[in-house]
Amino acid sequence: MFLALREIRRAKLRFGLLVAAVALLVFLILTQQALQNGLITSFVGAIRRQSAPVLVFAVDGQRTLQGSVITPRLEKSIDGVRGVAEAGRIGQGTFTVVVGRGGRSNAALVGYEKSQLGGPDRLSAGRMPSAAGEAVGSASDFALGDRVRVVGPGEGPVLRVVGLADDAQIQVTPTLFVSWPDYVAAARAVNPDAATVPPSVIGVRPAAGVTAAALAGRINGASEEADALTRRQAAEKAPGVAAVRSSFNLIFLLFALVVPLVAGLFFLIITLQKARALTLLRAIGAPAGALVRSLLVQVVIIIGGGIVLGTLLYVPLSQAKLGKLSLSFDLRAVVFWAVLLLVLGLASAMVAARRVLAIDPVEATTGGGAR
Amino acid sequence: MKLALRELLRRPGRFAVATAILALIALLLMVLGGLLDGLVAGSTGALRAQRGQLIVYSSASQESLVRSRITPAVRQVIEKTVGVGRVAGLGSVQLGARIEGHGPRDLVPVVLFGYELAPRGLPDAVPAAGRVYADRSLQSEGVRQGSTVLLGPARTPVEVVGFLGDSRYSLQGTLWGSLQTWRSVLAANRPGERAGAGVDQALVVRIGAVDSSTQAHAIDRATNGATKTLTIPQAINALPGVAQQQTVFNQIIGITVLIAVVVVGLFFALITVERVGLYGVLKAVGASSGILFAGVLLQALVVTLIASAIGVAASLALDAAIPAGSIPFVATPARLLTSTAYLVFAALLGCAFSLRRVLRVDPAAAIGGEQ
Repeated sequence: MFLALREIRRAKLRFGLLVAAVALLVFLILTQQALQNGLITSFVGAIRRQSAPVLVFAVDGQRTLQGSVITPRLEKSIDGVRGVAEAGRIGQGTFTVVVGRGGRSNAALVGYEKSQLGGPDRLSAGRMPSAAGEAVGSASDFALGDRVRVVGPGEGPVLRVVGLADDAQIQVTPTLFVSWPDYVAAARAVNPDAATVPPSVIGVRPAAGVTAAALAGRINGASEEADALTRRQAAEKAPGVAAVRSSFNLIFLLFALVVPLVAGLFFLIITLQKARALTLLRAIGAPAGALVRSLLVQVVIIIGGGIVLGTLLYVPLSQAKLGKLSLSFDLRAVVFWAVLLLVLGLASAMVAARRVLAIDPVEATTGGGAR
Repeated sequence: MKLALRELLRRPGRFAVATAILALIALLLMVLGGLLDGLVAGSTGALRAQRGQLIVYSSASQESLVRSRITPAVRQVIEKTVGVGRVAGLGSVQLGARIEGHGPRDLVPVVLFGYELAPRGLPDAVPAAGRVYADRSLQSEGVRQGSTVLLGPARTPVEVVGFLGDSRYSLQGTLWGSLQTWRSVLAANRPGERAGAGVDQALVVRIGAVDSSTQAHAIDRATNGATKTLTIPQAINALPGVAQQQTVFNQIIGITVLIAVVVVGLFFALITVERVGLYGVLKAVGASSGILFAGVLLQALVVTLIASAIGVAASLALDAAIPAGSIPFVATPARLLTSTAYLVFAALLGCAFSLRRVLRVDPAAAIGGEQ
């Protein structure tokens, strides 16, 4: 223990470089974890945040709100399924808007017919809309009282933000939850050629005693056109989410391999360099276990230091907003990666530990320890 | 120099771990770059394939093709603008496609484009109504020449008459037909987005010898701000997420290169420390610091090139192994070469940390015994 600390103090540059490398790797891993979480939340936050337990897409919609179009025939067949307690229309589209006196920007509108079937399930500020022209906005993009005008060739509705909801974006776009008539008015304003404004999905509440998953199964069984999913499934199976996860997992795997390999290489070389001194220590009675413990203490200090430094670098970044993407500090990710990297780092140091255990004290008398 | 190479040949084990780590970092760089290239190529192919220099959107659309509407009156104004050559309509709609051999719920997401000016890779003549060319990526979904593809909830049939390459859009395969085909498919499947007679989503414009940006401004002035005209590269950058993806990935690649610098620096600093005595002897017998450092550089270069070769092979294997449509990864020669160049640069820079130590080696110490 004493030797381990003293060696670190005497070779600050050498150990400092390794701490820096580990810290950079940890910072990169946590940053990418935050990016992944932020991307997924921004892609499907509004689906998680809306209140309908079951969402019925048209199978042609490929599980995207904007791509799904519910035909009157499909809507009727959903209403007729046993176990449906209540159903309501939900529409989603992206519009050009002007917020306050600002310039033009994009906003996604989620229009719901019934607030408990498509409206936000929880607000972080303000209240739910109670009149036409009122909206709940994604908290990271809007403020209470914001006036949002939909821009189009026709006269678009002017919406007032009366409530805010956290993590409520869709398609990485500022999002507003509005009433169905306001949504239809917006859709007609931007495209006067629109014949009708059909719903994108139907929000459904199961009757008492019927689970959301069971009801989704029944609806899918009733119509080949329907693609019913529970709220959780709708978020997880949205196109892009799986691709984002797979891409990041590939990167995480590579990073998770690099950290222990770098640490393992470093301690192996250090051990080889110290072979002569370690042999001498063994010859004068130092037990092999004590030397291995000393090595492991160094591993813990170096990896731990890297994790702490990397996390400290990550903290300010996790509070930032990258374009429209809001990042957040993910404690679970920090703990997960800290434990994983520490375990992998210790495991990688086993090669060096084996070297220490293999030292024969007799070699101190023959000079073999220097080999 | 010979000594450095001989050491590599005689004691490859000493460099094996560093080579393995660098190979992982090389793979990491190539995977990150390949993901970026895959994302960008899959999102922008349809725009890159255009044979005009400018794309005109309606100003209220925020440069979104789906939301843009150009009326016949605006088109006439553009056609009469000085410097404008050919003006051609463009329209798009994203739909689920039913392809022969797929199950009733196994739809393939596609984007149908209606065009007047043939994109690169297609004959000048626009196909007859109901006939389309398909992007080659759809061949992996079973689309063949002569296949009939059913589009959207209305199951609008289109017949595939040929293929073109690199024209994907929104990471989806594309179909290219006449504006008439596009209008009828859109009206049948997306009544809320129906385009009126003569209405296009955007216009592709060919211009004379005038500067593209100047001509773009001239068009927007002529339409009194009803349009927003972009050059093709500007239109590509305006696609949602493209610029942000490039920024984020390039930052991650930059930090990964920095990590490679630290790893190489660490490894060769330790190797140099180990060899200080040997260097003293070599200097004592006449070797200059330059020659000794060149040896270190050569070893770093060889190790990096071997690691890069492993990275290239692994990237190509990954590219071949990843199923089409799962992860947007492409291993292009340009990306593989660039990543190798980054790694070589990082290795040479990392080695520079050892230069000071090599210069400080005192030949007298070789005679005195201790360094």
